[in-house]
Order: sequence, then C-alpha cells, then structure tokens
Amino acid sequence: MNSLGRIFTGFVAALLEAWQELRIHKLRVLLSLIGVTIAVASLTTAVAAAGMAQQLMTEQLERNGRPALITTYAMNERGEQVPSVSPQVTEAFAKTAERFNVEYASMVSRSFGYQVSAQGATLDSEVMIVDPDYAPIHRIFAQHGRWLEAEDAQNLAPAVVVDRTLYQGLGLDQGSFPASVEMNAGNQKITVTVIGATSTKEGGLGGQLWMLPQTYDHWFAASAPLTDASYEMWVPIEGSEVLAAHFGSQMQTELPGYSVQSMRSDYLSWGADESLKQLALAAGGIAGVILLLGSLSLLNVAMVTMKQRIREVGIRRSFGATTGRVFFSVMMESIVATAVAGGLGVLISVAVVTNPKVISLVLGQGIDQMPGFPVGAALTGIGVSIAVGALTGVLPALVAARVRIVDAIRV
Amino acid sequence: MSGAQLLKLENVTRSVLMPDDSELHILNGISLSVSEGDHIAIVGRSGTGKSTLLNILGLLDRPTSGNLAWRGQDATRLSARRAAHARGRDLGFVFQQFNLLPGRTALENVMAPLMYATGRDFWRRRTLATEALEKVGLGARLDSMPQTLSGGEQQRVAIARALVRKPRVVLADEPTGALDVTTGRAVMELLDAATLESGAALITITHDINVAALAREQFRLEDGVLKGLAAEVAQ
Ligand SMILES: Nc1ncnc2c1ncn2[C@@H]1O[C@H](COP(=O)(O)OP(=O)(O)OP(=O)(O)O)[C@@H](O)[C@H]1O
Ligand SMILES: [Mg+2]
Repeated sequence: MNSLGRIFTGFVAALLEAWQELRIHKLRVLLSLIGVTIAVASLTTAVAAAGMAQQLMTEQLERNGRPALITTYAMNERGEQVPSVSPQVTEAFAKTAERFNVEYASMVSRSFGYQVSAQGATLDSEVMIVDPDYAPIHRIFAQHGRWLEAEDAQNLAPAVVVDRTLYQGLGLDQGSFPASVEMNAGNQKITVTVIGATSTKEGGLGGQLWMLPQTYDHWFAASAPLTDASYEMWVPIEGSEVLAAHFGSQMQTELPGYSVQSMRSDYLSWGADESLKQLALAAGGIAGVILLLGSLSLLNVAMVTMKQRIREVGIRRSFGATTGRVFFSVMMESIVATAVAGGLGVLISVAVVTNPKVISLVLGQGIDQMPGFPVGAALTGIGVSIAVGALTGVLPALVAARVRIVDAIRV
Repeated sequence: MSGAQLLKLENVTRSVLMPDDSELHILNGISLSVSEGDHIAIVGRSGTGKSTLLNILGLLDRPTSGNLAWRGQDATRLSARRAAHARGRDLGFVFQQFNLLPGRTALENVMAPLMYATGRDFWRRRTLATEALEKVGLGARLDSMPQTLSGGEQQRVAIARALVRKPRVVLADEPTGALDVTTGRAVMELLDAATLESGAALITITHDINVAALAREQFRLEDGVLKGLAAEVAQ
C-alpha cells in the first residue's frame, strides 16, 4: 500500500512537473510542436481520406452486387444471342436455388423507355424487374417508405420503389407513402403505387424504378415483353466458385434445350482493389516523412534546451529527485506536449475532412452520402503523437537522468 | 548537549583525475562528526575544497577513501536511489547562487522539494510551502518570480525551500557570498534561528570570519585537512 501510494504520488507529481515545465516554456514548446501538429494532421487526414474513399468506393462497387455474387444465364440453343427470359427458366432457377439452400436470389431484368409523371412533372425512367432479395444483394434499401415484398405481387395496383431522382423530381418528397404516379405502358396510362424510395441515383438524367416480375408480367409485359434476364445470388465468399459451377450444371439438368452459365461476377472477382491501397500508402508515406522531420526538429529543440536545464536538474536532484524520477518527468513532458499537439492535429484533420466545401473542392463535386470520420484514423493520430513524444523524449530524458549533480550545481 | 549523531567522517579523502592523467588531491583525510543541533562553520580560502567537502556531507558526492556514516549506516555504499530519498527527507541545501528554479514563483520553488515527498506532505505542499515562506517573512511575496526579488529575498526563499521538509541537517555553501554585509548578516541570523528552533544541524561554509563567528564550532580547511579554529585562536 505504502509503495503503491509512493508510485501514485510520484506519477501525479511527475505529471505536474511536466505540465509546469511546458507552461513556463510556452513559446518554445508551441514553436517546436507546430511540426508535430502539421504532421499528425496530415497523417490523420491521409488515413481518414483513404478510409472514407475506400468506404465510398466499396459502397459504389457493391451497388453492382456484393461479394460473392453469382450471376446465372440460360441461353436458348436455338441460336438466340441474349439470355432467355421465360417462365421455364425462372422456375428452373428458383428450384435449383432452393436445392442449394441459397438465401438471397433474384431475377434481374430491365425495360427502357418509360415516362413517369406526377403533379405536372414528367421524367424518363427505366424499369428494373427484380425480386425482393435484389435489395440486400445490391446493398440498397428504402430510405423512405419500404422496399418490395413478395406479397406486393398480389396488389391490385402495381407497386414500385423509385430512386432519388424520381423521388425528388416528382415531388414525392413533399408527401408520404404510398403515393400514386402515372406511368405509360405502350400508349396506355397506368396508375402505379410508389411504396418507397431509395437513396441511390443513376448517372444520367433519367430515373430508375423497381418492381416485381409478377407486377411487370401483369401490367407491362403485353406492350413491352422482356428480351433478356439474368439471375443473381448472394452467397458466402468461401466456396463460391465451386458453388457457381455446381449450380450451373444442376440447373442445366432442369433445362434441356438451354445452355446454362453460372459464374462469380462481383468486383472482388475482378480484383479491382489495389489502386486505392497504393494511394493510401503514398499519402501515408508522405505524412510519415513530415512526421519524421517534425520529430527531428522536436528532438533538436529538446536536446538544446536540455543543456540549459542541466543545472535545474542538479538542483532538483539535490532535494531528492531520483534519476528514475528525473527520467520520467522529462519523458512525460515530451509525451504530454506531443499528445496535446497531436490532439490538435486530429481536430484540424476532422475539421478539414468533414468540411463539405473542402470535399467539393477536392472531388470537384459534392457527394451524396458523407461517410463519418473514421474513428480508427483519429486513434491512429493520437497514438502516433504519443509514440513520437515517447521516442523524442527518450534521448533528453537519458541526458537528464545521467546528469552528475556535483557538476550540474558547480557555479 | 549535542543530540544523536547524524554524520561521521573518518579520514575521508577526495581526489579527482585531471585531464593529463595526474591526480588532484582535494581532501586529504577529513574527520568530522555532526550531531543534531550542531552549528558548524568551515572557513577556507577559495579553491581549498570547501564545496567538495560539503557535497560529500550532503550525499551529493562520494569520498575517494575513508569512512562516511549517515545516521550510523555506511553511506559510501548507499545506492543512488536511497541517497536521493535521504536528501529529500533529511537534508536541506542553501547555495551561494540561491539556485532558485527560474520561471517558477517563490511558492512553486518552495513547493518543489515536496514534489518528491509522499503522502500527506505531498498533498499539503501548498499549505506547507506557504507556512515556510511566512516564517522567513515572505508571506506577501508568494507569487513573485525570483528575478523580481532582491538578493536577500531570493536567499530567504532558498532557506524556506531548504527547511520546508524539516531536514535534520542544513548545508549552506557560502549563503552570504552574493549579498552585502547587512543583508548577509540578516540571512545568517535567520538561518541560525530557524535551525535552532527545529533542532536541525547547520553546517555553513564561508570565507567571512564574522559569519563563522555565529556558529558554535569553527573549522578551517587548509591543505585538504580540517583544523579546529578555536584551538588556533588559543595558540
Ligand atoms: N570534478 C573536478 N574536476 C577537476 N577539478 C575539480 C573537480 N572538483 C573540484 N575540483 C578542483 O578542486 C578544487 C576545490 O574545489 P572546490 O569547489 O571544493 O573549492 P572551494 O573551496 O569551494 O572554492 P570556492 O571558495 O571558490 O568555492 C578546485 O581547485 C577545483 O578546481
Ligand atoms: Mg565553493
């Protein structure tokens, strides 16, 4: 207990001494720490920006299907050039998917050239014909209202989910769901029920909307029969290649007269992940060099001032400071200083990275959904500052601890 | 009428190796006993080794040969750590150049030794330091920086700092050396009275015979040995 108390008071006292020392040399400390603040700010920014870019890019890539995505086509052997769409193929896919216990599976087809209108506004749109599982497979969700469900097939009116372009362009953001809009099917006008809206947005001017295959068959197929379809499954990455092969050959046996192809088609299977890592490494490397230079100047200042403080160390030793205590105090001084400087650097980095103006300046455009500042980057910044403090503190602390009292206090 | 023995030197020598590999013998066999309540003055010309002797007495330096006992224990084998604790607990230093910590107020200077204390003394350091400064008549200058104080005032801060942990021995190396005669005398009287009151031993190094006269025992350091001054006068 007594020795614990001694360690505790020793620790508190060393912190106090370090703080006093920093307070007295405010200006010197400030100047020598600018480098550390800048370095930590840029390092944290590099790590954070890389993390956020990674997240944005991943989200973007996963819109095309999350790993592992298996895409399946069936080509009619009568020589047609596009993947067939027929009740027979759909049924064979459903059956095989059930057999393989696939959790997420969806048909995917498109139909173009629609106009959607509400409240006097009209927008071009494409129609995506998908099953309910399409949303988890593509990491999209209804930000307003709800996504499609199997029961929507029985609705008396066609149920659709719209993207952000339609949601905003048709003024749906003014009202609530479900909402009614007009859609053309050939020359006819059909009133469809919008049950939800996603946060996604296609590149072009037009919008996008999603409906179930049954809905399309019932209301739109007559005027614009589907020309082709593919079938998607989201499965665990491990063993997905083998699964694709087995799935293909199994579905093939269900579909005489067709040729079935089943393969992985998510972005990971293309191996498209390297450029970002290299960018992050380069940015981190540059920040590392700044940090090294900052630390060196910090060390330089610390060593020069240590020489002036040798007398002070001698005085303290004369009234009872042990060498261990002297070492610890000088070390704490360095760590407290760099931790404060690094903390400031992290704050600067957060302010810069999360500033919308800065982002639109860097990217040349605003982004829809800002990912949060990565906590890991902030922790990295603080951790690095403390490490720099410890590393640059060791040398002056050693010098201070090795001071011979008699020499230090000799006039 | 002396109390318990604190320091005992027997035939202590101290020599240093010069850059040209020759040995410089500074102390050549010092024997001295210091007990509680003793007031000892050591006089000697410049360069005779007074500070060297005081450093040994204050456990800041070690003898080259001879015996040094600190409170009955062999101090030549004391670890650096134990010596530091002993200095903090039982020894107080007053220097010619005051040696106040720059940039710290008078109060912070007097609190500084208590940073190496444990328990109550550490947590009550502000109160203890304030009391110590009041005792030396500087209760109104707690927040003054050293450079704004006069020489005599600075030395009084140093005395408060030396006494704040209630040491058993106070070692003063030319405490009046940087002061004019009247101020020096006042400082010496303060040091004398304060140690008399606390019962601490006081060892003062000086080249001023008048300052030495205040002590009850006087020695002259010459040729590396101590000679009793009273005996010299009697001769
Ligand atoms: N570490 C050392 N290396 C070399 N010479 C030393 C060392 N320490 C002391 N000396 C020499 O020993 C002699 C005595 O030194 P000391 O400081 O003890 O003298 P002093 O009596 O206190 O003198 P003063 O009255 O001027 O303070 C001096 O000549 C000094 O130069
Ligand atoms: Mg001297």
